Amino acid sequence: MRLALWWSGRALSSAATLLGVSILIFAAVRMMPGGFAETILGPFATPEQKAELAARYGLDQPVFMQYWHWLTAVAGGDLGTSMISREPVSLELLARLPVTAELTILSVAAAILLGVPLGVLTAVRARPDGGAAVGRLLSGLGVSVPEFVLGSLAVFLFSRYALGLSVGGYVPVTVDPAANLRSMVLPAAVLSIFAISATARTTRDAVLGVLVEPYVTAAVARGESPWFIITRHILRNAAAPVVTLTATITAYLLGGALVVEYVFNLPGIGSYVVQAVGRRDYAVVQAGVLLAAAVFIVMNVLVDLMVGTLDPRLGVTAKGRRA
Amino acid sequence: MRRPLDLLSKGGLGCLLALVAFALGSTVDLAGDPDAIVGPRLAPPGPEWWMGTDNLGRSMLPRVMEGVGTTLLLSCTAVLLTAAVSAAFGILAGYRGGYLNEVVLRLVEVLYSFPAIVLAVLVAAVLGPGQFAALASIVLVTIPLMTRLVRAAAVGVSQRDYVTAAVISGARLPRILGRHVLPNVAGTIAVQGTYALSVGISVEGGLSFLGFGVQPPQASLGVLIRQGGSYMIAAPWLIIGPGTVLVVAILAINVFGDGLRDRLEPRETRSLT
Repeated sequence: MRLALWWSGRALSSAATLLGVSILIFAAVRMMPGGFAETILGPFATPEQKAELAARYGLDQPVFMQYWHWLTAVAGGDLGTSMISREPVSLELLARLPVTAELTILSVAAAILLGVPLGVLTAVRARPDGGAAVGRLLSGLGVSVPEFVLGSLAVFLFSRYALGLSVGGYVPVTVDPAANLRSMVLPAAVLSIFAISATARTTRDAVLGVLVEPYVTAAVARGESPWFIITRHILRNAAAPVVTLTATITAYLLGGALVVEYVFNLPGIGSYVVQAVGRRDYAVVQAGVLLAAAVFIVMNVLVDLMVGTLDPRLGVTAKGRRA
Repeated sequence: MRRPLDLLSKGGLGCLLALVAFALGSTVDLAGDPDAIVGPRLAPPGPEWWMGTDNLGRSMLPRVMEGVGTTLLLSCTAVLLTAAVSAAFGILAGYRGGYLNEVVLRLVEVLYSFPAIVLAVLVAAVLGPGQFAALASIVLVTIPLMTRLVRAAAVGVSQRDYVTAAVISGARLPRILGRHVLPNVAGTIAVQGTYALSVGISVEGGLSFLGFGVQPPQASLGVLIRQGGSYMIAAPWLIIGPGTVLVVAILAINVFGDGLRDRLEPRETRSLT
């Protein structure tokens, strides 16, 4: 019962945040330079034409009504129409979703599959001298290299020296899965360096925290194998901060994907939004930003759910909000 | 209690100071005029131009010096603004609690829901590309985490005996907050400030790289890397030079921040920047 109550509270709070996000984005788009009428009709439109257009698009109504119309339309899946292509934004985003999703999923997978073992390894073998400093510097380097620097370097290296992976030239997975993977490995690698390093650092901290617990000492005293201790005692108890980090990392990756898609010229949502800002195609910017924020908020709810399942102690008493 | 910074963090601080000196060098044209055409186009690094020349034949060294200056100045200004706003709202919300606390937390939560560079792009779309957009982006991106942590620290400090003593002895609100709470959350502000600085540098770089931040002819590290991208195959030094400086700057700040955190907040858990 308490759990259900806590969950409904969590859901309500997320909904409130999402509402705040939508208000902020709506306000931001209203403040963008270049009036809608001028953009559509050009500089020589008569006042009558402008008034007619404003009436057609509901721009003569109070701001609150406009927001309400927009919100109900978005809730129904209508994200507006691109001013450039005159296509519904939702269709355009949907067409580009696979690229961004593939990029993000590959990176999150790399972060978990490589970052967690690296973090455990460095924590279990941590010595207070030399090696630790090198490890700290390396993982520090990983979280310090921005995607656009790493991406530019990768584009240079791989296009100059033909190292086997194609740069640019995206191939949809439905056309040729092997070629698709070849074109996605490099962008995904660039995007995931930060995620892997951040995951490794967090895992290391979490594991170091668990290592000093009495039940680990007890397990060692009982003569359990290191593998058993790590998988059964340490990982399970160190999981919460790592899983929580996954949500933050997803948000980070969604932003990073925007840059990486731009660098590698991939036809994803990120590069589409960057293009749209340049063309002042505000409906697209609005939808893209809203999508990114919504995904992040939903991820956070899912992560709370997962952490609660992994560690029942946290479920009810847990900080309902991220610290 | 006051442990000295470890060697790595001292190295980070030294590196950072060296970069500041490097940037200051451009204000007196130590390595020449950043806009002067001094040699052939796209010449590789050599004795006359240590970092090579760009597509117009300008020496890259003074351009990178100017770029570091622009980037550091923008990021530092933004972080100072963030620190001021976060300290004010974080402390007030943490001390007062109640209605104000709820409002601050809500606003912070909303801002926190945007991925950094996505928020920066939105800000650039509203304000129009330029330095001001970069500045505003950094402030908005760094405010949520700092406000949240300052508030959390202020909640703890507000329950201490010395604050209660100050209240009992009749101190007014500004005095309590300024003399008793602020000095005791200053450590958190300093640590988060260094992390915010590294986030700021990377946001400025990313935004300028996309073409929405600092605008040429003014150089910033992001602008230089963007411009270098077009000639990258023939002249990789155009991105390797500024790219290395950018990474060194962020790494130095992060490492210094880690040391500062270990010293000022020994038990804090690591936060993702």
